[in-house]
Amino acid sequence: MKDFSDLNPITIFIYFFAVIFVAMFCMNPVILAVSLAGAVCLFMLRNGAKQKRSHAFFFLMFIVMALINPLFYHNGVTVLFVMNDNPVTLEALLYGIAASAMIIAVLYWFRSFSQLMTSDRLLYIFGSVSPKTALIISMSLRFVPLFGTQAKRIDQAQKALGLYKEDNAVDAIRGKGRVFSVMTTWALENGIVTADSMTARGYGTGKRTFYSLYRFSRFDAVLIASSLALFALTMTAAAYGTLDFVFYPAISPPKLTPFAFIAYLSYCVLVFIPVIIEAEERLKWKYLLSKI
Amino acid sequence: MISIKSSSLRKWLKIIIPFALIPASITAGLSVPGEKLYAYVTLVITAFTVLLFIAGFEAKKTGTRRLIIAAVMIALSVAGRFIPFFKPVTALTVITAVYLGGETGFLVGSLSAVISNFYFGQGPWTPFQMFAWGMIGLIAGFLALPLKKSRILVLAYGLLAGILYSFVMDIWTVLWYNGEFNGALYLSALISAIPYTILYSFSNVIFLWFFAKPFGEKLERIKIKYEI
Repeated sequence: MKDFSDLNPITIFIYFFAVIFVAMFCMNPVILAVSLAGAVCLFMLRNGAKQKRSHAFFFLMFIVMALINPLFYHNGVTVLFVMNDNPVTLEALLYGIAASAMIIAVLYWFRSFSQLMTSDRLLYIFGSVSPKTALIISMSLRFVPLFGTQAKRIDQAQKALGLYKEDNAVDAIRGKGRVFSVMTTWALENGIVTADSMTARGYGTGKRTFYSLYRFSRFDAVLIASSLALFALTMTAAAYGTLDFVFYPAISPPKLTPFAFIAYLSYCVLVFIPVIIEAEERLKWKYLLSKI
Repeated sequence: MISIKSSSLRKWLKIIIPFALIPASITAGLSVPGEKLYAYVTLVITAFTVLLFIAGFEAKKTGTRRLIIAAVMIALSVAGRFIPFFKPVTALTVITAVYLGGETGFLVGSLSAVISNFYFGQGPWTPFQMFAWGMIGLIAGFLALPLKKSRILVLAYGLLAGILYSFVMDIWTVLWYNGEFNGALYLSALISAIPYTILYSFSNVIFLWFFAKPFGEKLERIKIKYEI
Protein backbone atom coordinates (compact mmCIF):
# COMPACT_ATOMS: atom_id res chain seq x y z
CA MET A 1 0.00 0.00 0.00
CA LYS A 2 1.17 3.53 -0.72
CA ASP A 3 0.73 7.05 0.57
CA PHE A 4 -2.37 8.71 -0.87
CA SER A 5 -0.30 11.34 -2.68
CA ASP A 6 1.76 8.61 -4.41
CA LEU A 7 -1.25 7.35 -6.30
CA ASN A 8 -1.77 7.89 -9.99
CA PRO A 9 -3.25 11.36 -10.70
CA ILE A 10 -6.22 9.76 -12.46
CA THR A 11 -7.07 7.84 -9.29
CA ILE A 12 -6.87 10.99 -7.21
CA PHE A 13 -8.97 12.91 -9.72
CA ILE A 14 -11.72 10.24 -9.85
CA TYR A 15 -11.75 9.94 -6.07
CA PHE A 16 -12.19 13.66 -5.51
CA PHE A 17 -14.78 13.89 -8.26
CA ALA A 18 -16.86 11.18 -6.56
CA VAL A 19 -16.63 12.63 -3.06
CA ILE A 20 -17.25 16.25 -4.05
CA PHE A 21 -20.08 15.45 -6.45
CA VAL A 22 -22.03 13.59 -3.76
CA ALA A 23 -21.37 16.37 -1.23
CA MET A 24 -22.72 18.96 -3.67
CA PHE A 25 -25.65 16.81 -4.75
CA CYS A 26 -27.15 15.57 -1.48
CA MET A 27 -28.58 18.11 0.92
CA ASN A 28 -28.78 15.42 3.56
CA PRO A 29 -27.48 16.26 7.06
CA VAL A 30 -25.87 12.83 7.57
CA ILE A 31 -24.06 12.94 4.23
CA LEU A 32 -22.96 16.53 4.84
CA ALA A 33 -21.71 15.81 8.37
CA VAL A 34 -19.74 12.79 7.15
CA SER A 35 -18.35 14.78 4.24
CA LEU A 36 -17.32 17.72 6.42
CA ALA A 37 -15.74 15.44 9.04
CA GLY A 38 -13.80 13.51 6.39
CA ALA A 39 -12.63 16.67 4.63
CA VAL A 40 -11.41 18.29 7.86
CA CYS A 41 -9.74 15.03 8.98
CA LEU A 42 -7.84 14.65 5.70
CA PHE A 43 -6.77 18.30 5.73
CA MET A 44 -5.60 18.12 9.36
CA LEU A 45 -3.83 14.83 8.78
CA ARG A 46 -1.88 16.29 5.87
CA ASN A 47 -1.17 19.72 7.42
CA GLY A 48 -1.03 19.01 11.13
CA ALA A 49 -1.95 21.78 13.50
CA LYS A 50 -0.74 24.45 11.05
CA GLN A 51 -3.12 26.54 8.95
CA LYS A 52 -4.96 27.86 12.01
CA ARG A 53 -5.93 30.97 10.11
CA SER A 54 -7.70 29.12 7.35
CA HIS A 55 -9.61 27.05 9.90
CA ALA A 56 -10.69 30.25 11.65
CA PHE A 57 -11.65 31.81 8.31
CA PHE A 58 -13.74 28.77 7.32
CA PHE A 59 -15.44 28.75 10.71
CA LEU A 60 -16.35 32.42 10.43
CA MET A 61 -17.61 31.89 6.90
CA PHE A 62 -19.72 28.97 8.12
CA ILE A 63 -21.42 31.12 10.78
CA VAL A 64 -22.09 34.03 8.43
CA MET A 65 -23.51 31.86 5.65
CA ALA A 66 -25.65 29.86 8.04
CA LEU A 67 -27.26 33.09 9.26
CA ILE A 68 -27.85 34.59 5.80
CA ASN A 69 -30.53 32.09 4.78
CA PRO A 70 -33.10 32.69 7.57
CA LEU A 71 -32.80 36.43 6.95
CA PHE A 72 -33.77 36.09 3.29
CA TYR A 73 -35.98 33.02 3.27
CA HIS A 74 -39.18 33.04 5.25
CA ASN A 75 -40.64 29.65 4.35
CA GLY A 76 -41.24 27.12 7.10
CA VAL A 77 -43.86 26.46 9.76
CA THR A 78 -41.86 26.90 12.98
CA VAL A 79 -41.49 30.62 13.56
CA LEU A 80 -38.68 31.42 15.99
CA PHE A 81 -39.23 35.18 16.15
CA VAL A 82 -40.30 38.07 13.94
CA MET A 83 -37.83 40.61 12.67
CA ASN A 84 -38.85 43.68 10.63
CA ASP A 85 -42.27 42.11 10.00
CA ASN A 86 -40.58 39.04 8.57
CA PRO A 87 -40.75 35.69 10.34
CA VAL A 88 -37.45 33.97 11.01
CA THR A 89 -38.10 30.24 10.86
CA LEU A 90 -36.33 27.21 12.28
CA GLU A 91 -36.52 25.45 8.90
CA ALA A 92 -34.73 28.27 7.11
CA LEU A 93 -32.07 28.36 9.81
CA LEU A 94 -31.47 24.59 9.53
CA TYR A 95 -31.33 24.85 5.75
CA GLY A 96 -28.78 27.65 6.11
CA ILE A 97 -26.64 25.48 8.37
CA ALA A 98 -26.86 22.56 5.93
CA ALA A 99 -26.02 24.75 2.92
CA SER A 100 -23.02 26.34 4.58
CA ALA A 101 -21.83 22.94 5.84
CA MET A 102 -21.94 21.78 2.21
CA ILE A 103 -19.98 24.80 0.99
CA ILE A 104 -17.35 24.57 3.73
CA ALA A 105 -16.97 20.81 3.17
CA VAL A 106 -16.44 21.37 -0.56
CA LEU A 107 -13.93 24.14 0.16
CA TYR A 108 -11.99 21.80 2.47
CA TRP A 109 -12.07 19.04 -0.14
CA PHE A 110 -10.75 21.46 -2.73
CA ARG A 111 -7.96 22.57 -0.38
CA SER A 112 -6.76 18.98 -0.13
CA PHE A 113 -7.36 18.49 -3.85
CA SER A 114 -5.14 21.49 -4.70
CA GLN A 115 -2.41 20.16 -2.44
CA LEU A 116 -2.51 16.66 -3.89
CA MET A 117 -3.15 17.68 -7.50
CA THR A 118 -0.06 19.74 -8.24
CA SER A 119 0.22 21.37 -11.66
CA ASP A 120 2.36 18.57 -13.12
CA ARG A 121 -0.23 15.99 -12.09
CA LEU A 122 -3.08 18.00 -13.57
CA LEU A 123 -1.04 18.35 -16.76
CA TYR A 124 -0.66 14.59 -16.88
CA ILE A 125 -4.45 14.29 -16.99
CA PHE A 126 -4.92 17.25 -19.33
CA GLY A 127 -2.24 15.89 -21.65
CA SER A 128 -4.26 12.79 -22.33
CA VAL A 129 -7.35 14.83 -23.28
CA SER A 130 -5.82 17.77 -25.11
CA PRO A 131 -2.05 17.73 -25.65
CA LYS A 132 -2.06 21.20 -27.22
CA THR A 133 -3.79 22.82 -24.24
CA ALA A 134 -1.52 20.95 -21.86
CA LEU A 135 1.46 22.31 -23.78
CA ILE A 136 0.15 25.88 -23.51
CA ILE A 137 -0.51 25.46 -19.80
CA SER A 138 2.91 24.02 -19.06
CA MET A 139 4.65 26.73 -21.13
CA SER A 140 2.68 29.48 -19.37
CA LEU A 141 3.56 28.00 -15.99
CA ARG A 142 7.21 28.18 -16.97
CA PHE A 143 6.86 31.72 -18.38
CA VAL A 144 5.46 33.21 -15.16
CA PRO A 145 8.71 32.96 -13.12
CA LEU A 146 10.82 33.57 -16.25
CA PHE A 147 9.12 36.93 -16.85
CA GLY A 148 9.65 37.81 -13.21
CA THR A 149 13.41 37.33 -13.39
CA GLN A 150 13.60 39.06 -16.78
CA ALA A 151 11.68 42.08 -15.43
CA LYS A 152 14.13 42.27 -12.52
CA ARG A 153 17.08 42.20 -14.94
CA ILE A 154 15.64 44.96 -17.13
CA ASP A 155 14.83 47.00 -14.05
CA GLN A 156 18.41 46.73 -12.79
CA ALA A 157 19.82 47.62 -16.20
CA GLN A 158 17.58 50.69 -16.47
CA LYS A 159 18.47 51.83 -12.98
CA ALA A 160 22.18 51.30 -13.58
CA LEU A 161 21.89 53.39 -16.75
CA GLY A 162 20.40 56.16 -14.62
CA LEU A 163 17.13 56.18 -16.57
CA TYR A 164 14.92 56.61 -13.52
CA LYS A 165 15.12 57.28 -9.81
CA GLU A 166 12.95 55.61 -7.22
CA ASP A 167 12.61 58.61 -4.88
CA ASN A 168 10.53 60.48 -7.44
CA ALA A 169 7.03 58.98 -7.63
CA VAL A 170 6.18 60.09 -11.19
CA ASP A 171 9.59 59.05 -12.44
CA ALA A 172 9.30 55.68 -10.67
CA ILE A 173 5.91 54.89 -12.22
CA ARG A 174 7.08 55.90 -15.69
CA GLY A 175 10.22 53.85 -15.19
CA LYS A 176 8.24 50.75 -14.16
CA GLY A 177 5.97 51.27 -17.15
CA ARG A 178 9.01 51.32 -19.43
CA VAL A 179 10.38 48.17 -17.81
CA PHE A 180 7.04 46.44 -18.41
CA SER A 181 6.98 47.61 -22.03
CA VAL A 182 10.51 46.35 -22.67
CA MET A 183 9.69 43.08 -20.95
CA THR A 184 6.58 42.53 -23.06
CA THR A 185 8.42 43.11 -26.31
CA TRP A 186 11.14 40.75 -25.17
CA ALA A 187 8.55 38.16 -24.10
CA LEU A 188 6.80 38.21 -27.47
CA GLU A 189 10.05 38.01 -29.44
CA ASN A 190 11.34 35.30 -27.13
CA GLY A 191 8.08 33.42 -27.70
CA ILE A 192 8.59 33.54 -31.46
CA VAL A 193 12.15 32.27 -31.09
CA THR A 194 10.87 29.43 -28.90
CA ALA A 195 8.17 28.60 -31.44
CA ASP A 196 10.65 28.56 -34.35
CA SER A 197 13.01 26.41 -32.35
CA MET A 198 10.18 24.00 -31.65
CA THR A 199 9.20 23.86 -35.31
CA ALA A 200 12.82 23.24 -36.27
CA ARG A 201 12.90 20.28 -33.92
CA GLY A 202 9.81 18.81 -35.47
CA TYR A 203 6.97 19.95 -33.23
CA GLY A 204 3.63 19.27 -34.86
CA THR A 205 4.92 16.69 -37.33
CA GLY A 206 3.81 13.70 -35.33
CA LYS A 207 1.77 12.68 -32.35
CA ARG A 208 2.93 14.30 -29.18
CA THR A 209 3.55 12.23 -26.10
CA PHE A 210 4.09 13.39 -22.55
CA TYR A 211 6.79 12.28 -20.23
CA SER A 212 5.25 11.07 -17.02
CA LEU A 213 6.58 9.30 -14.02
CA TYR A 214 3.24 8.10 -12.79
CA ARG A 215 2.57 4.40 -12.86
CA PHE A 216 -0.77 2.76 -12.78
CA SER A 217 -0.54 0.07 -10.16
CA ARG A 218 -3.00 -2.62 -9.18
CA PHE A 219 -3.80 -0.61 -6.06
CA ASP A 220 -4.89 2.30 -8.31
CA ALA A 221 -7.26 0.00 -10.18
CA VAL A 222 -8.73 -1.31 -6.93
CA LEU A 223 -9.17 2.18 -5.57
CA ILE A 224 -10.80 3.52 -8.75
CA ALA A 225 -13.17 0.55 -8.89
CA SER A 226 -14.14 0.87 -5.23
CA SER A 227 -14.60 4.67 -5.36
CA LEU A 228 -16.80 4.35 -8.42
CA ALA A 229 -18.82 1.52 -6.88
CA LEU A 230 -19.39 3.41 -3.62
CA PHE A 231 -20.21 6.56 -5.58
CA ALA A 232 -22.73 4.67 -7.71
CA LEU A 233 -24.38 3.16 -4.62
CA THR A 234 -24.82 6.52 -2.92
CA MET A 235 -26.01 8.23 -6.09
CA THR A 236 -28.55 5.48 -6.83
CA ALA A 237 -29.99 5.92 -3.36
CA ALA A 238 -30.07 9.69 -3.88
CA ALA A 239 -31.75 9.33 -7.29
CA TYR A 240 -34.49 7.12 -5.79
CA GLY A 241 -35.18 9.77 -3.17
CA THR A 242 -34.05 7.55 -0.32
CA LEU A 243 -31.84 10.32 1.02
CA ASP A 244 -34.24 13.23 0.41
CA PHE A 245 -34.30 15.42 3.45
CA VAL A 246 -37.22 17.85 3.21
CA PHE A 247 -36.63 21.27 4.81
CA TYR A 248 -39.69 23.22 3.64
CA PRO A 249 -42.38 23.74 4.74
CA ALA A 250 -41.70 21.41 7.69
CA ILE A 251 -38.66 19.29 8.48
CA SER A 252 -39.19 15.68 7.50
CA PRO A 253 -36.17 13.41 7.57
CA PRO A 254 -36.08 10.36 5.26
CA LYS A 255 -36.85 6.94 6.76
CA LEU A 256 -33.84 4.89 7.72
CA THR A 257 -34.49 1.98 5.39
CA PRO A 258 -31.80 -0.68 4.88
CA PHE A 259 -31.06 0.87 1.48
CA ALA A 260 -30.55 4.31 3.02
CA PHE A 261 -28.31 2.76 5.66
CA ILE A 262 -26.19 1.11 2.98
CA ALA A 263 -25.93 4.43 1.14
CA TYR A 264 -24.78 6.27 4.28
CA LEU A 265 -22.31 3.54 5.05
CA SER A 266 -20.87 3.48 1.55
CA TYR A 267 -20.43 7.24 1.49
CA CYS A 268 -18.78 7.06 4.88
CA VAL A 269 -16.30 4.47 3.61
CA LEU A 270 -15.68 6.54 0.46
CA VAL A 271 -14.99 9.70 2.47
CA PHE A 272 -12.57 8.05 4.87
CA ILE A 273 -10.53 6.07 2.29
CA PRO A 274 -7.67 8.63 2.10
CA VAL A 275 -7.69 9.14 5.87
CA ILE A 276 -7.34 5.39 6.38
CA ILE A 277 -4.56 5.13 3.81
CA GLU A 278 -2.63 8.08 5.26
CA ALA A 279 -3.11 6.93 8.84
CA GLU A 280 -1.98 3.41 7.99
CA GLU A 281 1.13 4.80 6.33
CA ARG A 282 1.95 6.93 9.39
CA LEU A 283 1.46 3.96 11.73
CA LYS A 284 3.70 1.78 9.61
CA TRP A 285 6.37 4.47 9.62
CA LYS A 286 6.17 4.86 13.40
CA TYR A 287 6.34 1.09 13.81
CA LEU A 288 9.40 0.82 11.58
CA LEU A 289 11.06 3.68 13.45
CA SER A 290 10.44 2.01 16.78
CA LYS A 291 12.16 -1.15 15.55
CA ILE A 292 15.41 0.68 14.74
CA MET B 1 -10.95 12.62 -27.06
CA ILE B 2 -13.58 14.82 -28.63
CA SER B 3 -12.54 16.27 -31.93
CA ILE B 4 -14.88 17.69 -34.51
CA LYS B 5 -13.74 17.16 -38.08
CA SER B 6 -16.16 19.20 -40.19
CA SER B 7 -15.16 22.84 -40.08
CA SER B 8 -18.67 24.15 -40.88
CA LEU B 9 -20.14 22.12 -38.03
CA ARG B 10 -17.48 23.51 -35.78
CA LYS B 11 -18.39 27.03 -36.81
CA TRP B 12 -22.06 26.37 -36.07
CA LEU B 13 -21.31 24.83 -32.71
CA LYS B 14 -19.24 27.85 -31.85
CA ILE B 15 -22.34 30.01 -32.15
CA ILE B 16 -25.01 27.58 -30.93
CA ILE B 17 -23.36 26.45 -27.71
CA PRO B 18 -22.71 29.77 -26.02
CA PHE B 19 -25.83 31.54 -27.24
CA ALA B 20 -28.49 28.81 -27.38
CA LEU B 21 -27.53 25.60 -25.58
CA ILE B 22 -26.37 27.18 -22.35
CA PRO B 23 -29.34 29.50 -21.80
CA ALA B 24 -31.65 26.62 -22.81
CA SER B 25 -30.24 24.19 -20.29
CA ILE B 26 -30.31 26.82 -17.59
CA THR B 27 -34.01 27.47 -18.20
CA ALA B 28 -34.65 23.73 -18.38
CA GLY B 29 -32.94 23.29 -15.03
CA LEU B 30 -35.00 26.10 -13.55
CA SER B 31 -38.32 24.69 -14.75
CA VAL B 32 -38.00 21.23 -13.16
CA PRO B 33 -40.23 21.53 -10.09
CA GLY B 34 -39.13 20.26 -6.71
CA GLU B 35 -35.64 19.37 -7.82
CA LYS B 36 -32.76 21.65 -6.95
CA LEU B 37 -30.45 20.71 -9.74
CA TYR B 38 -29.58 24.13 -11.11
CA ALA B 39 -26.17 24.46 -9.55
CA TYR B 40 -25.08 21.09 -10.96
CA VAL B 41 -26.69 21.72 -14.34
CA THR B 42 -24.85 25.01 -14.68
CA LEU B 43 -21.59 23.55 -13.44
CA VAL B 44 -21.75 20.61 -15.84
CA ILE B 45 -22.78 22.77 -18.78
CA THR B 46 -20.09 25.33 -18.11
CA ALA B 47 -17.37 22.73 -17.80
CA PHE B 48 -18.68 21.08 -20.97
CA THR B 49 -18.58 24.32 -22.96
CA VAL B 50 -15.04 25.08 -21.94
CA LEU B 51 -14.01 21.52 -22.83
CA LEU B 52 -15.71 21.78 -26.20
CA PHE B 53 -13.80 24.93 -26.99
CA ILE B 54 -10.57 23.28 -26.02
CA ALA B 55 -11.43 20.23 -28.10
CA GLY B 56 -12.24 22.42 -31.11
CA PHE B 57 -8.94 24.16 -30.64
CA GLU B 58 -7.19 20.81 -30.39
CA ALA B 59 -8.59 19.61 -33.71
CA LYS B 60 -7.62 22.79 -35.48
CA LYS B 61 -4.30 23.38 -37.14
CA THR B 62 -2.92 26.32 -35.20
CA GLY B 63 0.51 27.65 -36.00
CA THR B 64 3.14 27.04 -33.39
CA ARG B 65 3.89 30.77 -33.25
CA ARG B 66 0.29 31.68 -32.46
CA LEU B 67 0.24 28.96 -29.80
CA ILE B 68 3.29 30.35 -28.06
CA ILE B 69 2.07 33.94 -28.27
CA ALA B 70 -1.12 32.78 -26.52
CA ALA B 71 1.04 31.16 -23.82
CA VAL B 72 2.99 34.41 -23.45
CA MET B 73 -0.20 36.44 -23.02
CA ILE B 74 -1.55 33.93 -20.47
CA ALA B 75 1.68 34.11 -18.49
CA LEU B 76 1.57 37.92 -18.53
CA SER B 77 -1.99 38.02 -17.24
CA VAL B 78 -1.30 35.37 -14.58
CA ALA B 79 1.74 37.35 -13.42
CA GLY B 80 -0.49 40.43 -13.40
CA ARG B 81 -2.93 38.81 -10.99
CA PHE B 82 -0.28 39.19 -8.29
CA ILE B 83 -0.67 42.98 -8.43
CA PRO B 84 -2.79 43.80 -5.37
CA PHE B 85 -6.36 44.95 -6.13
CA PHE B 86 -5.84 45.70 -9.83
CA LYS B 87 -6.15 42.66 -12.05
CA PRO B 88 -5.16 43.02 -15.71
CA VAL B 89 -6.54 39.63 -16.82
CA THR B 90 -9.61 41.06 -18.56
CA ALA B 91 -7.65 43.85 -20.23
CA LEU B 92 -5.03 41.48 -21.62
CA THR B 93 -7.72 39.02 -22.75
CA VAL B 94 -9.54 41.79 -24.61
CA ILE B 95 -6.37 43.07 -26.25
CA THR B 96 -5.37 39.55 -27.35
CA ALA B 97 -8.86 38.89 -28.72
CA VAL B 98 -8.91 42.14 -30.69
CA TYR B 99 -5.56 41.53 -32.36
CA LEU B 100 -5.36 37.73 -32.58
CA GLY B 101 -9.02 36.73 -32.89
CA GLY B 102 -11.80 35.60 -30.60
CA GLU B 103 -10.70 32.00 -30.27
CA THR B 104 -7.25 32.95 -29.02
CA GLY B 105 -9.00 35.43 -26.73
CA PHE B 106 -11.19 32.69 -25.29
CA LEU B 107 -8.14 30.51 -24.76
CA VAL B 108 -6.17 33.27 -23.04
CA GLY B 109 -9.10 34.23 -20.78
CA SER B 110 -10.06 30.73 -19.74
CA LEU B 111 -6.57 29.31 -19.30
CA SER B 112 -5.49 32.38 -17.31
CA ALA B 113 -8.23 31.43 -14.86
CA VAL B 114 -7.00 27.82 -14.49
CA ILE B 115 -3.34 28.71 -14.19
CA SER B 116 -3.75 31.61 -11.79
CA ASN B 117 -5.92 29.33 -9.64
CA PHE B 118 -2.89 27.09 -9.17
CA TYR B 119 -1.60 29.97 -7.07
CA PHE B 120 -4.89 31.30 -5.70
CA GLY B 121 -6.78 28.05 -5.10
CA GLN B 122 -8.93 25.88 -7.35
CA GLY B 123 -12.60 25.44 -6.51
CA PRO B 124 -15.96 24.77 -8.07
CA TRP B 125 -15.78 28.37 -9.31
CA THR B 126 -12.89 27.58 -11.67
CA PRO B 127 -15.13 26.52 -14.61
CA PHE B 128 -17.20 29.68 -14.16
CA GLN B 129 -14.18 31.92 -14.14
CA MET B 130 -12.94 30.09 -17.23
CA PHE B 131 -16.29 30.61 -18.89
CA ALA B 132 -16.69 34.27 -17.90
CA TRP B 133 -13.20 35.33 -18.94
CA GLY B 134 -13.34 33.14 -22.04
CA MET B 135 -16.61 34.73 -23.17
CA ILE B 136 -15.21 38.22 -22.56
CA GLY B 137 -12.42 37.28 -24.97
CA LEU B 138 -14.69 35.62 -27.53
CA ILE B 139 -17.12 38.54 -27.72
CA ALA B 140 -14.23 40.99 -27.96
CA GLY B 141 -13.04 38.92 -30.92
CA PHE B 142 -16.41 39.34 -32.65
CA LEU B 143 -16.22 43.10 -32.08
CA ALA B 144 -12.56 43.29 -33.12
CA LEU B 145 -12.99 45.83 -35.94
CA PRO B 146 -14.91 48.55 -34.07
CA LEU B 147 -12.85 47.94 -30.92
CA LYS B 148 -9.64 48.42 -32.89
CA LYS B 149 -10.82 51.75 -34.26
CA SER B 150 -12.33 53.47 -31.25
CA ARG B 151 -10.58 53.89 -27.95
CA ILE B 152 -13.77 54.93 -26.15
CA LEU B 153 -15.46 51.71 -27.27
CA VAL B 154 -12.60 49.61 -25.86
CA LEU B 155 -12.84 51.40 -22.53
CA ALA B 156 -16.63 50.97 -22.49
CA TYR B 157 -16.20 47.27 -23.27
CA GLY B 158 -13.77 46.93 -20.37
CA LEU B 159 -16.23 48.64 -18.02
CA LEU B 160 -19.09 46.43 -19.17
CA ALA B 161 -16.95 43.28 -18.96
CA GLY B 162 -16.15 44.05 -15.33
CA ILE B 163 -19.84 44.39 -14.49
CA LEU B 164 -20.88 41.28 -16.46
CA TYR B 165 -18.12 39.22 -14.88
CA SER B 166 -19.53 40.04 -11.47
CA PHE B 167 -23.09 39.26 -12.60
CA VAL B 168 -22.15 35.83 -13.96
CA MET B 169 -20.07 34.88 -10.93
CA ASP B 170 -22.85 35.92 -8.53
CA ILE B 171 -25.42 33.77 -10.34
CA TRP B 172 -23.18 30.86 -9.47
CA THR B 173 -22.74 32.01 -5.86
CA VAL B 174 -26.51 32.12 -5.34
CA LEU B 175 -27.18 28.80 -7.11
CA TRP B 176 -24.50 27.04 -5.15
CA TYR B 177 -25.59 28.38 -1.80
CA ASN B 178 -29.32 28.25 -2.22
CA GLY B 179 -29.86 25.38 -4.66
CA GLU B 180 -32.26 27.52 -6.65
CA PHE B 181 -32.31 31.03 -7.97
CA ASN B 182 -33.56 33.60 -5.49
CA GLY B 183 -33.91 37.21 -6.63
CA ALA B 184 -33.46 38.79 -3.20
CA LEU B 185 -30.37 36.71 -2.47
CA TYR B 186 -28.92 37.51 -5.90
CA LEU B 187 -29.53 41.21 -5.32
CA SER B 188 -27.84 41.06 -1.94
CA ALA B 189 -24.90 39.16 -3.45
CA LEU B 190 -24.63 41.82 -6.17
CA ILE B 191 -24.83 44.63 -3.63
CA SER B 192 -22.21 43.08 -1.35
CA ALA B 193 -20.00 42.66 -4.43
CA ILE B 194 -20.37 46.30 -5.52
CA PRO B 195 -16.93 47.40 -4.23
CA TYR B 196 -15.32 44.51 -6.12
CA THR B 197 -17.36 45.15 -9.24
CA ILE B 198 -16.31 48.80 -9.23
CA LEU B 199 -12.70 47.77 -8.64
CA TYR B 200 -12.83 45.24 -11.52
CA SER B 201 -14.39 47.68 -13.94
CA PHE B 202 -12.13 50.50 -12.85
CA SER B 203 -8.96 48.42 -13.18
CA ASN B 204 -10.12 47.15 -16.58
CA VAL B 205 -10.56 50.73 -17.76
CA ILE B 206 -7.21 51.80 -16.28
CA PHE B 207 -5.32 48.92 -17.84
CA LEU B 208 -7.04 49.31 -21.19
CA TRP B 209 -6.40 53.06 -21.06
CA PHE B 210 -2.66 52.53 -20.64
CA PHE B 211 -2.11 49.19 -22.37
CA ALA B 212 -4.53 48.99 -25.27
CA LYS B 213 -2.48 51.13 -27.63
CA PRO B 214 1.12 50.10 -26.81
CA PHE B 215 0.16 46.44 -26.45
CA GLY B 216 -1.84 46.57 -29.66
CA GLU B 217 1.14 48.07 -31.47
CA LYS B 218 3.42 45.36 -30.12
CA LEU B 219 1.06 42.57 -31.16
CA GLU B 220 0.45 44.18 -34.54
CA ARG B 221 4.19 44.49 -35.09
CA ILE B 222 4.78 40.84 -34.15
CA LYS B 223 1.89 39.82 -36.40
CA ILE B 224 3.30 41.67 -39.41
CA LYS B 225 6.92 40.78 -38.73
CA TYR B 226 6.34 37.05 -38.31
CA GLU B 227 3.10 36.57 -40.28
CA ILE B 228 1.12 34.92 -37.49
